[in-house]
Amino acid sequence: MTTSHPKGSSAGPPEAEVVSSEPELRIGVFPCKCGKNIGAVVDIDAVAEYAKTLPGVVHVQVNTYTCADPGQREIQEAITQHGLNRIVVASCSPTMHEDTFRKTVKAAGLNPYLCIMTNIREHVSWVHQHDPKSATQKAMDLIAMSVAKAATLVAQPELDVPVTQAALIVGAGVAGMQAALDLADAGFKVHLVERQPTIGGIMAILDKVFPQNDCSICILGPKMVDVAKHPNISLITMAEVESISGYVGNFEVRVKQRPRYVDMDKCTSCGDCVEVCPVDVPSRTDQNLTWQKAIQIPFPQAVPSSYFIDPEACLGMDLIRCGKCIDRCEQEAIIPSDKAKYIDFDVGVIILATGFKPADPSKTPRLGWGRFPNVITTLEFERLINAAGPTEGKLVRPSDLIKPTSVAIAQCVGSRDIGTRSACSNYCCAESVKCALLIKEHYPDTEVTIYYQDLRMHGKYFEDQYLKAREEGVKFIRGRVGEIQQYPDTKNLRVSVEDTTHNKLSMETFDMVILSMGAEGAAGDFPLPISCTSDSFYIESHPKLKPVDTSSAGVFICGGAESPKDIRDSVIQASAAAGRAAIILQKGRYPIEALSAKIMQDLCSRCGTCVSRCPYGAISQDGTGKFTIMGALCQACGTCAGDCPQDAIYMPNFTSQQIEAQIETALAENPSDKIVAFACAFCSYRGSDLAGVSRMQYPTNARVIRAMCSGRYSVKFAQKAFELGAGAVLYSGCHLPADCHFQTGNVWMAKREPRIRGWMKRNNIEDERFRVEWVSAGEGKKWQTIMTEMANAVKTPRKNIPTPKTQTVAKSEKSAKSKTKTTSKDKQAGKPRSPSKGASQKKTTRKK
Amino acid sequence: MGEDFQRNQLKELKETALPCFQCGVCSSSCPVFRVSPELNPRLSVDSIISRGKVPSEGNEWLCAYCLMCDQRCPMGVSLAEILMVIKNISAREGKAPPDVIESAESLMADGCQSPISSRSEKQREDMGLPKLPRANPADVQMLFRATGAAEVVELNRKAVEEASE
Repeated sequence: MTTSHPKGSSAGPPEAEVVSSEPELRIGVFPCKCGKNIGAVVDIDAVAEYAKTLPGVVHVQVNTYTCADPGQREIQEAITQHGLNRIVVASCSPTMHEDTFRKTVKAAGLNPYLCIMTNIREHVSWVHQHDPKSATQKAMDLIAMSVAKAATLVAQPELDVPVTQAALIVGAGVAGMQAALDLADAGFKVHLVERQPTIGGIMAILDKVFPQNDCSICILGPKMVDVAKHPNISLITMAEVESISGYVGNFEVRVKQRPRYVDMDKCTSCGDCVEVCPVDVPSRTDQNLTWQKAIQIPFPQAVPSSYFIDPEACLGMDLIRCGKCIDRCEQEAIIPSDKAKYIDFDVGVIILATGFKPADPSKTPRLGWGRFPNVITTLEFERLINAAGPTEGKLVRPSDLIKPTSVAIAQCVGSRDIGTRSACSNYCCAESVKCALLIKEHYPDTEVTIYYQDLRMHGKYFEDQYLKAREEGVKFIRGRVGEIQQYPDTKNLRVSVEDTTHNKLSMETFDMVILSMGAEGAAGDFPLPISCTSDSFYIESHPKLKPVDTSSAGVFICGGAESPKDIRDSVIQASAAAGRAAIILQKGRYPIEALSAKIMQDLCSRCGTCVSRCPYGAISQDGTGKFTIMGALCQACGTCAGDCPQDAIYMPNFTSQQIEAQIETALAENPSDKIVAFACAFCSYRGSDLAGVSRMQYPTNARVIRAMCSGRYSVKFAQKAFELGAGAVLYSGCHLPADCHFQTGNVWMAKREPRIRGWMKRNNIEDERFRVEWVSAGEGKKWQTIMTEMANAVKTPRKNIPTPKTQTVAKSEKSAKSKTKTTSKDKQAGKPRSPSKGASQKKTTRKK
Repeated sequence: MGEDFQRNQLKELKETALPCFQCGVCSSSCPVFRVSPELNPRLSVDSIISRGKVPSEGNEWLCAYCLMCDQRCPMGVSLAEILMVIKNISAREGKAPPDVIESAESLMADGCQSPISSRSEKQREDMGLPKLPRANPADVQMLFRATGAAEVVELNRKAVEEASE
C-alpha cells in the first residue's frame, strides 16, 4: 500500500483543553471498595494509608462506589480543590471503567490520558478471597506500580480528522448495490466500482430465488436501474481499484477502467452490430453453454444498457481486419481508439462488496464434471431453466438435448471438503431444494433425488420449502455421493452413494446430475491490507458485535466477500455496512486514536525494522531517509516499539520508561516471589478478567502489566525483570496465528521468545521461569492454571541474578520530555499540530 | 508392549478418526463394500468415534487396502490406515481370522508367501535370466520374532484351536 501525506492530516484546530503546566507532580489516588466486592477482602483503609506515602501522591480518597455519580463527582472536586494532575483509580478492570473515568477527569478539565486504573477487583479481591493479607499487599503493590507509571504520563492531544463525505463501494452485486442505494439515499456521494461490464453480480444470472421462488431479474432489474439513475451514484463498470492511500475519512482512490470500445451514451442496444459480428465466443452469462459475439451485452437487462467489445476476441476494429460493426452502427457508437483510463477521487469510507466465486467443479474429479456432459453445476442449471437462457427455459440434457426423466442433485460439492473448502457454504441446501422444486414445477413427471449429508434449511421460510419439496415427491437420501460413472452409449449416469440411514449402498441411474456448488473465497486481491481467512473471506472486526467492520477504521465489508451467504443475508449486511459507514460520513469529522506511536528522530538509526512490523502500513520513509508514522493509520499496538533496536519509538501511555517503572516497583520487595505478567488489552487481559469474574482462585504472586498488544513486549522487559530478581516472567497474548486484534502483534512477539530464552541460558536462568502463553478472552480457566503453575515455579529461589548492563534509557526519557514541552507550547500558541510535523517542530524547540 | 501400548494405540486411533463426519463417501467409493456389504469403513470408524472401541466383528480383514477411501475422504481421514490399526489390535487380542494366520504360518515356514514354481524357473532359464534367490525361512522367522509377530501368530493359533475344540 502506498502511503502519502494527504491534505487532511493537519487535523484541524485542536480542541480546547487544559494541559498541566505546573512542573510539580500532584497525583490523586482513589481506592474503591466496590461495596463488599473489594472491601471484604482487601483492607482498603490500610491501602489508602500506604498510598499516601507514595512519591508524588498528594491526595487519597476512599469510596464505596467510585463509578457511581457521587464517586465521580468527588474525583472532579478533588481535581479542582487539590490541583491534581494525575489520577489513579484503584477499582475494577480498565476494560470495565477506563472510559468512564477518562470522561470524568475530562469534564473536570484534565486531559483524559492522564487518568489510569489499577485493577484490584478482578486481579485481587475476586481471585484471592481466602488470603486477605497477601491480597492487601498485592493491592498496595499494584497501586504503587500505577503511581510509578502515572508519574510519567503525558497529556495526549485528542485529534480528529475531517471526513470526505463520499463513499467507495467495490463490487456491484446485490450487496454493493444495496449499500450504494442506502448511502446515496442518505445524501452521500457514492462511487460504485464494478469489474464486469454490467452490475447485478451472480443474482442477475439466476432464474428464481428461494425461498419464495420469485423471478430473480424481475426483483433485481428495477434496483439496477435505480442504481444507474441515482444522482448521487457514480457508476464505474469494467473497472478495478488500482490503489488506495490515506486513512479513515481521507482515502485517495485510483480506479483503472478498461476500454469498452462502445460509447455508452450513443449505444441504443439495438443489437445490429451482433448480426454482423463474425466472431463467436463462449457466453460468460450462460456459463459457456452457448455462444455470443465479440461485441456483446451480458444480458438484455444489463446496466449500463450498452454493448462492449471483447478485445481478445475481436478481429480488429478497422476496415482492413474487420470493422463490420463500425460500418453497421448507425449511431456511430463504436470507438476503436478507446483506451484504458484512470479515474481519481477522494472518499471518506470504503465498503468492500467484492463477493465470492462459485466453486470450481473440476476440483472434485470423482463426480465427473467436464468429462460427462450430463453432469452440470447449479449455475448451469439456472441458465438451462431460465427463459432467457440458451434453451429458453427448457431443461435438456447437454449430451442429446432431450428432457431428462430422472435427475439427481449432489450436495456439498466444493464445500465441507478439506481439498476445496472445509466450511459449509451456507446457501447450497436451499439452492438444491429450489432446483428440485423448479424441475417439479416444469416437469412433474421427472423424478428428482437429492443426496445430502446434512440438510441445513436454517433460514426463515426454508422449512416450508423443504416440506413442499417432500409433498411434490422429491426424494431425499442421506449420503454424500462417492462417485459418478457414465454409461458410454446412453450417456446416462450411475451415482454411487451409501444411504447412511440404512447403511446400504445405493447405485441408481439418472439422466442428469446437478452438482450443488458451494462458494470459493475471492477476497484479498485488493490494494488494502484487510486480513482474510485461510479460505479467502474478509475477517470482521468482531464476529458478533462488529460483523461488518474491519480492523481498518473506515473500511467495511458485506455480502459474499465476508462469507458465503444468500441474497437476503447479503442485503441485510449491505444495509448494515451502509449504516455503519453513514455514521462516519454524517459526523464530518472522525476522532483518531490519540495514543499513536511517534518516532524519536534523534535516537532512530533508520534501520527500517518498524516498517515491516506495522500491520497498517502507517510507517513510511520520506525522501531524506527519515521514518515517520502517520498518526491516523496507527492503531497503537506498539509492535514497532517492541522490536525497535534503538528504543526510538514513543508509545504514549505505554512508553518503555513507564513499563520499566512498573517492573521496578513490582520487584521492589521480595522480587524472587513475584511473577511479572504481561497481558494484552484484547485477549489475555480480558482472560485474566474472566478468571476474576468467575472467582477462580490462584496464588497472589502475579503483578500484571497491561499493554495494548503483545507485540509491545520488548525482549528487554523480560531481561530487566530477571535482572531485578523476578521469580518468573509471563508474556501472554492472543492465540496464534490469527486472533491478534492488531493482526500480527502476537506473531512478532512469538519471534522474540528464542532470543529471550537464549539470553536466559547465557545468564544461567532456569527455562521454566519464562513462559509465553496464548490466552483468549474466554480462557479464564487457562489463566488460573498458568498462574498456579508459575507460582509453583517461583517457590525455589533464583540461582543467578545477572548484573544489569548500563543502558541509554535516560536519553529517550529526555527526548520524550522535550516532546511534551513542544506539545504544550503548540497548544498555548494555538497552532494546529500535526503528527507528521511533530518531529520537525521538536527540532526547532531543541535549537532554541 | 502390553496394555499400555494398546491403550495408546486406541487413543491415537480416536484422534485420527475424530474429523470423520460420517458422510459415506468412503463406503460408496469402496470396491469391497460393493460386493461384500459387511465391510463398511464408515461404520468401522463410527464404532471408534461413538463407542470408543475397536469393532469386534472382524469385517476389517476384508479390506483390500486400495486406498480409495483415503484418497476421497473430504476430511482427510486415513481410513485404510485406521482399518489396518484395527486389524493389528484385534490380532493382538487373538481375533485374527484363521486363513490370515495360516498364511502367516506358511510364510514363517517357507520364507515366502507363494512358492517358486518349476514352470517359472524354466521360463527364466529359457530367457537367460538368473535364478531367483531362495528365501531363507530362518531369516523370516528372525523377523517374526524381532517384531513380535511370532507371538501374535502363536496367540491366534491357540485361539483358533480353542475355538475348534
